[in-house]
Amino acid sequence: MDAQAQSLAVAVPNRHAERRWLPAAWSGLLIAVLSFLVLYPTAMLLIGALTTTNPVVEGYHFADLSIGNFLTVVTNPNVGSALANSLIACGGGTIVAVTIGLSFAWVVVRTNTPCKGLIASAGMLPLFVPPLVAGVAWSILGSPKTGLLNMLAAKAGIPFHIDLYTMPGMIFVFGIYYAPYVYMFTAAALRNMDPSLEEAAEISGASAARTIATVTFPLILPAIISGMLLSFVVMLGIYGVPAVLGSPANLSLLTTYIFALTAWSPPLYNTAAAVAVILMVVTGFMVWLQQKVLSGRSYTTVAGKAFRPRPLNLGAWRFLTLAMAMVYLLVVVVLPSIALFIAAFRKFLFIRDIPSLFDAKQYGWQHFIKMFDNPLTITSIINSMKVGVITAVVGGILAFAIGYTVTRSRAPGRRTIDVITTIPVAIPGLVIGVAYLWAWIGVPFGLYGTLWILALAFVARFMPDTVKALSTSLMQIHRELEEAAWICGRGTLGTIGSIVLPLARPGVVAAMTLLFILAIRELGSSLFLYSSGTMVMAVQLLGYYEGGNIGITAAFSLVQMVLLGVLITVTNRLSRGANRASPIRTG
Amino acid sequence: MSSELRVEHLRKIFPPIKGSPVAKAAIDDVSFTIAAGEIVVLLGPSGCGKTTTLRCVAGLEHPTSGRIVIGGTMYTDPQAGVLVPPRSRNLGMVFQSYAVWPHMTVRQNVGYPLKARGVPRRDQAKAIEEALGLVELSDYADRPVTQLSGGQMQRVALARSMVYQPQILLLDEPLSNLDAQLRLRLRDDLRRIIKRVGLTALYVTHDQQEAVVLGDRIGVMRDGKLLQLAAPDELYNDPADLFVAGFTGASNVIAGRLVSRDGMQGVVSVGSRGSLTVRLAGDTAPGAAVNVALRPDNVLLEPSNAGPNQFPGRVVSRNYQGTQTVYEVSVFGQTIEALEVGSSIRHAVDAAVTVALPAEVCWGYGAGM
Repeated sequence: MDAQAQSLAVAVPNRHAERRWLPAAWSGLLIAVLSFLVLYPTAMLLIGALTTTNPVVEGYHFADLSIGNFLTVVTNPNVGSALANSLIACGGGTIVAVTIGLSFAWVVVRTNTPCKGLIASAGMLPLFVPPLVAGVAWSILGSPKTGLLNMLAAKAGIPFHIDLYTMPGMIFVFGIYYAPYVYMFTAAALRNMDPSLEEAAEISGASAARTIATVTFPLILPAIISGMLLSFVVMLGIYGVPAVLGSPANLSLLTTYIFALTAWSPPLYNTAAAVAVILMVVTGFMVWLQQKVLSGRSYTTVAGKAFRPRPLNLGAWRFLTLAMAMVYLLVVVVLPSIALFIAAFRKFLFIRDIPSLFDAKQYGWQHFIKMFDNPLTITSIINSMKVGVITAVVGGILAFAIGYTVTRSRAPGRRTIDVITTIPVAIPGLVIGVAYLWAWIGVPFGLYGTLWILALAFVARFMPDTVKALSTSLMQIHRELEEAAWICGRGTLGTIGSIVLPLARPGVVAAMTLLFILAIRELGSSLFLYSSGTMVMAVQLLGYYEGGNIGITAAFSLVQMVLLGVLITVTNRLSRGANRASPIRTG
Repeated sequence: MSSELRVEHLRKIFPPIKGSPVAKAAIDDVSFTIAAGEIVVLLGPSGCGKTTTLRCVAGLEHPTSGRIVIGGTMYTDPQAGVLVPPRSRNLGMVFQSYAVWPHMTVRQNVGYPLKARGVPRRDQAKAIEEALGLVELSDYADRPVTQLSGGQMQRVALARSMVYQPQILLLDEPLSNLDAQLRLRLRDDLRRIIKRVGLTALYVTHDQQEAVVLGDRIGVMRDGKLLQLAAPDELYNDPADLFVAGFTGASNVIAGRLVSRDGMQGVVSVGSRGSLTVRLAGDTAPGAAVNVALRPDNVLLEPSNAGPNQFPGRVVSRNYQGTQTVYEVSVFGQTIEALEVGSSIRHAVDAAVTVALPAEVCWGYGAGM
């Protein structure tokens, strides 16, 4: 023992000194990877906004860097109107979403409305519908001339006519599809609120209305504002809905305007970059505001305890709330699904009379057959799966490395890593697409044109959410569990492998499957990064829609929904018992 | 197998928190030595630096300065750039939260350190068997730890920390998460097991009962300083200062002024009439303010024979606790507590009583301390 101790005395200090540079090297590596994924593309986007050179033809020149180029774009009236349209559509959509989401949260958490469980889970379904599919479904239902609702109303002789190819139409679709975001935030706040706070107000002599106004509402206000800003930010970055509903009426939003700029011949990459920067600034401001709301007023009501809120007895009124909930589910889930089914299986969307709607002879698989005859369909599905796997694996590993380093290690530069990781929160998917376009299009033999550029863009885009979800599950592992392994003689890597990873596994699996799902449905950033060989599902769907064949579009939408449905079911199985991933910013 | 632990001038200064200008020393020049096979308990209120000291020995915290020598080998010496990582220290540690790994069985938990050391499989099985036998968990070897009770998990943690015959066993409030009854039983078991294996142990707790039962010696800490390190009976019969006295249960503190002293004995004037003979610690000079501390169980009411340090008093209140009774007694203008063992009540409230404060258990400390 003594001899061994003596030899340790000599050996140990050296071994330790040798490894002292390791944490710093590790942090440096992570920062380098993050710079490659986030900082470099963002920098190139900013440069693109300040120059007038075309990166494809002339490569990158920084000689004409000037704020003037940016100002020329900003003062363009088209940009101004696109910005105004974006703010109106998303602002209006947010108001609708808050109204619906808040009432839902209250109905589900605080009342004795029947079938609450069903309402709560079905109400979340819109979250999983890609915006483009939602747009397609509603254009089938509500286009001014051929919309199913309009045709049926006309045949039935009901004086009813809607036109969703309008600003109110977009606000309506935005609002109903993003209500679940507001619902998630406010329902959690309502659920976590200590009911004795309200009881105390009542005992002090306040009426029910006064209690709501002076206690309940102020307590959940941060959650409402936060959910509101989040849904606004998400809407701002959506391409699918305005592309389907806005374009026919020449209503440009920032997202559709940016894509139109790159689709022009020749493509206006500089202008696109400048408008993308504007979109990024608006988004960044909203995200900053949201963080401020969340940090400024702490949720003092959130205690470690699980409360069982006393549900309000609505009496006979509970059937009214049930009916309202059913109407919402009908509008958001049932109607669009029926529309997609009819369009996908019916030979001709034109409906002569009402009995013909139920005529089996009118239905068949012909759109599906035609769709799969197009080799691009299968290619795009396979490509999406590949991109999904790469994104999930690369993103999952990177997020775990970052999450562990930031929450668990003492490595230098943890703060920097944390800050860079959260930057993409303020960058909509579409802007990431433009940034990656700028970063790689002018580099010969680079990433551009490969599936990897799509996957890396997705990794960067979803990094904040993935890291946050993983950090949450890492933080639930008691620090002493790890220290015990060190004491037992394991090194850092051995401890991660034998203790941390097995314990965090449900969270890791959930995060990686979530990445996979987000990646295969992502449209905004794919638009700028796909090439003919790397077509992905979301872009292919847009192609079918713009090709004008509504039958194939609906059929492909259904295929994607079924795929997503299967994946989500599998995910839920896998991550049962795992903590829920944080609310996702999808697009 | 077990080794001597030497901690020399250990100091740990945390960087100043925003708003407070001064950096706070969590450990302030702590030195002590634990002989091989000895159990030393660090006792003190939360935030006194006892856990930080233990974690410095484990290598989980890095001290600002000072040295830690285990079995003649330097493990920590920041000035010389020596900071051996915890995995290379060959120590055992029992954590406050048990820290048994929930995704493993009892056997896997206990076998983990052996696997990390590359012990041959056959030897592993034997060592695990022995360790589990020691903590009386042999029948539970293949259970998932999540099915165990708190006390059983704590035994798994103990077995895991001893299975590889570490140089030193560190225990960080290992009983604080258990309910009171279990705590008492495990307390006795712990000492028996550690002594049987003959391990050197450093034990941290805030419970003086635990410290007295478990420790060969007890170190009382406060504000990062080690106030006194002594055998339990010495600590209880000769506390070094008022804080240590308070920690041993001397809740009666009588303020007075030292009139004269003769060696370690002194006379303290209390109030207008009292003149109290006390034992003095330290070199308080006559004329200085002193605090006299004594335990309630050392206060005698109505003593059988007359003697010094007896004063007239009056019972203010009575708190009957079944097997003992606590009286509040007013004596020379102050109220002190007296504890009498036994189930009978001897004094009525408002009764006049003679209060005896035996000189050898009245400890006087300079009030400037």
